[in-house]
Amino acid sequence: MLEEFENYRVAHHQEAKDWKSKTGGKVLGTLCCNVPEEIIHAAGMLPVRLLGEHEPTTEADLHLPTNLCPYCKSWFDQVLKGKYDYLDGMVIPNVCNIIKASYGFSKYLFKLSYVHFVDIPQSISPEGVEFFAKNIMDFKKSIEDFSGKPISDKALRHSIDVYNENRTLLDKMYTLRKKYPSVLSGSEAQSVVISSMLMPKEEHNRLLSRLIKDMEKSDKALEKRVSLFVSASILDDTDFFKLIEECGGNVVTDDMPMGSRYFYGLVDSKDEPLHALAERYLTKIACPRKMLPADRLAFSVSRMEGANINGTIIHSMRACDPHLYEYPLLRQEMEKQGLPVLFFRGEETATEREQQKSDIEAFIEMLQDQME
Amino acid sequence: MLVCGIDVGSRNVSTTILLDGAILSNCVITSSEEGATIARKVVIEALAKTEFKFTDIECTVATGCGRNSVPFANRQSTEVVCQAKGAFHLFPDARIVINLGAESSRVMRLNSEGKVVAFTKNDKCAAGSGLFLETMSQLLAIPLESMGELSLKADGCEEVSSICAVFAESEVISHIHKGVPKQYILVGIHKAVTTKIMELLGLVGVNKDIILTGGVAKNQAIVHELEQKIGANVFVAPEPQIVGALGAALIAQETIQDRGMPSVKRL
Amino acid sequence: MVQSTSAKKSLQTTLEVPVLRRKYYAQTLDDSQKGKKVAWCSNNIPSEILDAMDVTGVFLENYATVIASKRLGSGFCAAGEKVGFSQDVCGYARMLMGYVLAKNDAPEAPYGGLAKPDFLLVSANSCDSRLGWFSAMSSVLNTPLYVYDSPSQPDGASNSLVVAEHIETELRNLISFLEKQTGNKFNPDKVRRRMDISRQTSEIMYEISQLRKAVPSPMGSADMFTAVWPSMYLSGTKECEDFYKRLRAEMEERIARKIGIVPEERFRIMWSGIPFWYDMQLINYVENFGGVVALESFYRVRERRIPSQHDDPIKDMALTAVRQHGYPSGISGSIEDLLEAVEEYKINGVILSYNPSCRMLLISQTELQKALEDRGIPTLGLECDMADERTYSEGQVKTRMDAFVERLLAKNS
Repeated sequence: MLEEFENYRVAHHQEAKDWKSKTGGKVLGTLCCNVPEEIIHAAGMLPVRLLGEHEPTTEADLHLPTNLCPYCKSWFDQVLKGKYDYLDGMVIPNVCNIIKASYGFSKYLFKLSYVHFVDIPQSISPEGVEFFAKNIMDFKKSIEDFSGKPISDKALRHSIDVYNENRTLLDKMYTLRKKYPSVLSGSEAQSVVISSMLMPKEEHNRLLSRLIKDMEKSDKALEKRVSLFVSASILDDTDFFKLIEECGGNVVTDDMPMGSRYFYGLVDSKDEPLHALAERYLTKIACPRKMLPADRLAFSVSRMEGANINGTIIHSMRACDPHLYEYPLLRQEMEKQGLPVLFFRGEETATEREQQKSDIEAFIEMLQDQME
Repeated sequence: MLVCGIDVGSRNVSTTILLDGAILSNCVITSSEEGATIARKVVIEALAKTEFKFTDIECTVATGCGRNSVPFANRQSTEVVCQAKGAFHLFPDARIVINLGAESSRVMRLNSEGKVVAFTKNDKCAAGSGLFLETMSQLLAIPLESMGELSLKADGCEEVSSICAVFAESEVISHIHKGVPKQYILVGIHKAVTTKIMELLGLVGVNKDIILTGGVAKNQAIVHELEQKIGANVFVAPEPQIVGALGAALIAQETIQDRGMPSVKRL
Repeated sequence: MVQSTSAKKSLQTTLEVPVLRRKYYAQTLDDSQKGKKVAWCSNNIPSEILDAMDVTGVFLENYATVIASKRLGSGFCAAGEKVGFSQDVCGYARMLMGYVLAKNDAPEAPYGGLAKPDFLLVSANSCDSRLGWFSAMSSVLNTPLYVYDSPSQPDGASNSLVVAEHIETELRNLISFLEKQTGNKFNPDKVRRRMDISRQTSEIMYEISQLRKAVPSPMGSADMFTAVWPSMYLSGTKECEDFYKRLRAEMEERIARKIGIVPEERFRIMWSGIPFWYDMQLINYVENFGGVVALESFYRVRERRIPSQHDDPIKDMALTAVRQHGYPSGISGSIEDLLEAVEEYKINGVILSYNPSCRMLLISQTELQKALEDRGIPTLGLECDMADERTYSEGQVKTRMDAFVERLLAKNS
């Protein structure tokens, strides 16, 4: 069952190509959880999240300086290396200095017929929602121009329902896992979430409903492991969680953009669709580029409800501005919750694994020692 | 009950043998040999001064970055836990343990039971570790062992302001070329290293009852600078290089006690 | 002991700036004493509005450059790092976090420190570091924070009507926030007056930018990095306008009398990115070889400001803001802009600063450098932080400058 998610995640390039040849549809690359994917879905296109790789960047180094977010540099490198040559276009949201700038770079360097920028306001207010709804309307128009077909109200409402179903299911999976961590490990859960950003949503919903049924019936014995909360910027594969598992720990919940931040909060299906999308994407996604610390921290803490956590690992990509500013406050908040903290400033390369491993081992041993 | 702790560091390998909870023997070897060979060697050397032999050891716990390369170890434990345990055994009032090794510096905060509640480690940057001092010692042609003493005698200081080890190196070279007295530069170097350590301390929370362990703790100028910056006494473990091995040996002893294993016969 | 780090200036008028700046900071402390409300602001908070609301603005990015230029950056940065702000974080932010958090372990603050804030105002659309920085600061100081949302979109990506409408709403919200905080009533006439002066000043600044094309250079970056200060922080005041009138007059006189920065101008350099505030004399370094840093990437006023369109000053302000944000922020626009400047200002080579902690500028530098080299324009990339002098190795930088100058001289002879 789980392999179906994992296999798709690992072979996502091939899967996207297969989808294209099977359906004749267009594939659009997206970044971050702030792009209202429903618009792309309603136009009959497949949104896929751009991912990095644990390999040295070569092509990107010719165009970008050294001290940048390693994730951004890595996906950029992947595109330049031709790994994403099946993309018909890209949708770039305004979520950080680097991703914002990547809009101009994408237009300048990548041979794509469609690149669209979705601006996201920094005021989480009714006025901000209204402005964002107008931006989403522009986005919708631009997608319609690109596909040559209008998106009907009915299609958009349907896409909202499909996405809401996915969010509800993922949330259910998290709730079960928090309660019974042995049923689904951290890396397995992460594989499910990341595959949701790559797979057609209907397919993901179908597989996920089955997985949840299996989880509910599961009688896996409770394995005693140190339970961890991970607060992170970008972790675009399952390696870090697997490393934690190798060291004797298990991640039982998170607040990551490629974790629970992706599916938190539903779009109000009774509201006017564009306004409803703006409302959910602006006010529910706890992204530190727009949300102020008090609300951000409250979100992180709320992700731990119902779980029995022993410690927190904070992982920020090196040079990730939004997350690095928050770290001292987040650390304080975790300690206030009685949770010891281990902090990493991460890279995309595999070479840092050993260093991380020794720190995680020490952290887990320390937590075990405290639990005794 | 005879147990052994081994600390396989990146520069030194050290061991502590405990007999019924008391230190029987210690040994430290500096070597670049492969971990397995040197680990056996250091234990045999430590035992040479005693009436016991290698096979009398009931349990061995290995720590340090090479802890997985000790084939005869019964289990492994991390430096964080071992350093803290060793230091707490020597100083039951210890609340902060600063371990200054060749490649890494780490700071642990302990609770009143001696358990680690928080720790932090230096970044990948080399400034602030033993290796940095070693490079500086070569650059200035002053033996590592005399750096601290010479620095304490200096009546002036030449700042080394760079945070990057590579930059600091070129800064020191330019000081040398300008003819700045070497002991002044030494003071600057020691200040720079302790600034790094203070950053780590800041993250864990400065406290009283600070214990210093690891090879760098032998440098009196570092101890002096730290005391100046913290504004409190810093206690140096009597043999700072064996604290990790001691902690490992204590864990070995607990392991046997937990298992309820009988103590082996005395010779 | 603090050695002088400031650049050697060539124009008499520029020498007035340090006096103005000192006066400005003294005034903020005085205002605070007298009970005026003090706002700590990021750049891009319109001082015209602060003034109309009788609020004293203290601009933190500017204060950060003051700290850096006195070589106190590392002391304050370290205090910021101690609580967990990574060295990756903007040098300005680390310093100011250090300033508010430091107890007795930080250096003495320049100008007697800053007036205590009653609230914080941030506009972070062109640099999202500011939001993280100001919100962390607001938590630490337990002081209200207001986020003024003023979208700045990459070229070709914006629907400017929608953006202008949103900025207008946001400006009105900012005003009501200030009304609540101060109890003062908003005075539109006051804003109108200041905006009129700003517009006239901007006209002078545009002319100054044009005058800088002259050979030999009537005013280089050594002066401009200082001379730009009034336009950023005294915008809309008579004092500011008069300053630029005097500056323009001095430049015109230098042009008429063919007075350059160096006796015999052999080559002209452009500085791209933020300078290294702790060693501004680096800008003068090329003067030893007959060169001049004739232009910098930020402070060229590219076009005249649009005339007033509305009776309502806030509507006008919103329109101006959209125009200003139209400043090239996408890479292709930036390349075009740079090449145009090189051509128009007869630039022979470009120094690009790679400020590792300022990502939003850093990201373009490699591609800009490549575009220049592809067209045969010599370049030099220097990677040092703008504020944290610990990242700077004077010896290394000078050696590389020497090689760069040699290359330029060989090419020009």
